[in-house]
Formats: sequence, C-alpha cells, structure tokens
Amino acid sequence: MKASIRSIGKVAVLDLSGKITIGEGDVVLREKVIELLEGGQRNILLNLEKVGYMDSAGIGELVACYKRAKEKAGSVKLLNPSGKVFDLLQLTKLEEIFETFKDEKEALVSF
Amino acid sequence: MRNSDPHGVSVRLVLPNELRLLDVVHAASEKMAEIAGFDEDAALNVGLAMREAVINAMIHGNGRDPARKVLVTFVARPSRFQAKVVDEGAGFDPAQGMDPTAPPNLLSTSGRGLLLMRAFVDEVRFRRRRSRGMEVTLVKSRAAASTTS
Repeated sequence: MKASIRSIGKVAVLDLSGKITIGEGDVVLREKVIELLEGGQRNILLNLEKVGYMDSAGIGELVACYKRAKEKAGSVKLLNPSGKVFDLLQLTKLEEIFETFKDEKEALVSF
Repeated sequence: MRNSDPHGVSVRLVLPNELRLLDVVHAASEKMAEIAGFDEDAALNVGLAMREAVINAMIHGNGRDPARKVLVTFVARPSRFQAKVVDEGAGFDPAQGMDPTAPPNLLSTSGRGLLLMRAFVDEVRFRRRRSRGMEVTLVKSRAAASTTS
C-alpha cells in the first residue's frame, strides 16, 4: 500500500492506495498515523478512495488508529471508502464508530 | 494443477508458514472462483474469506511457527467453489471468539476474521483432525449466491 500526506489547514489528509492487509498495508497505516500524532497532528482524515480492500488485520488497524488518536484528544475520520471497503465497514458495524464523508471539503470543515 | 475431474479443476498448495504468501492464496482463490463461474466481486469475496482462513491457520493454528506448513486444496466445479485449509498446530476453538459487532466489542482491534469468512462464502466448517491440526472447509455456490444476495 502507498500512503502520502497532505496538510490542509488544521487537518492532515492521508491518501492511501492499494490494500490494507496483514503485515503490509496495516503496518504502513500504523506508522503514518503514529508519525502524524507524534508530530502533534490531531485531525486525521484517511482517504480510502483508492483502497481496494482490507482484511481483518487492516480493519483492526483502522480501529487502533482511531483509538490512538482519541487517546491524544484527536480524531480519525474516513473519506470515500470504496465499494468493498464500504461493505466491510458496514459488515463490521464500524460505520457506527467512524465519521465517514464522501466530500473532502465537507470532511475538512467537520474537524 | 491437477485436472483429472472432467467436471472440475483441483489445485493443491503447500505453503510455508509465512504471511507474505497470503497474496498467493488470494490470487489462486480468485482464479479458482472465476473458473467456477463467479463474477469479479464474488471472486474477491472468496479471496478475502480464504485470506482469513489462512491467516487463522498460520497464526492460531501453526502459532506463527516457521517450520510448519499450511495445506490448501481448491476444487472449482461449475457454479461451486470449495477449499480446505489445513494447519499443523494443536488445534484451536473457532467458537471461542467474541461477537465483534456487539457494541462493547466494536473497538476491539482483532477478532473479525471469522465474521468475514462467514459473510463472504456460504459455508465455513471447522474440523479438528485426528492426526494433527485444524481443517477448515469453505464453500461458495452460485445457486446459494443468487438466492442470498
């Protein structure tokens, strides 16, 4: 999985592409979010538009990122989960936990 | 690849206990599902279910032991995909896990593998082998898919 960071105002947008799976994408996601939190960033928007799918470890890492941010009084929100990723969020009921947006501008002003 | 069954195709993979090989399983699963006649989305679901079965086998079954192996056999017949995943561990209790969709468990960072397996194929059966290890059977049939989704 590839990950790049854009800073827009007070929000860090993490653009992810590929798949969030055990030992690969989940590690990249963990490292990037920890890097942002340790750098003082508290508002993180994960752009999932180009993420094809996740496995259970990837889903677990999304939750771990959410909790890490909460512990530091921050928040992790989701942008544009793709078809299969959206299905997985519904199946696992994590759509009840994560604030999810289709529009980036709308997501940015929500922080 | 063996193709002795005129109505189907069989493939057998013997995998070292390495998580980096999950993509091999995923790709083989998707291809076998495609041979069985499933569309792209259903084949991806089969691949995702198989990933979880093999993750279980490598981590919970084989205990991440690099000396152990995971055996995966696939059979693709028209309208039916079946696979067995066998590890070399002491066995594990698949029913032991919590319900990851229950409100108190939503923030758990693990325990969703079985949920995904059951969601993406029609049947998931666990059997503790007499000799050694667990055998997990996954079945997806197009007839079931057309009535359930």
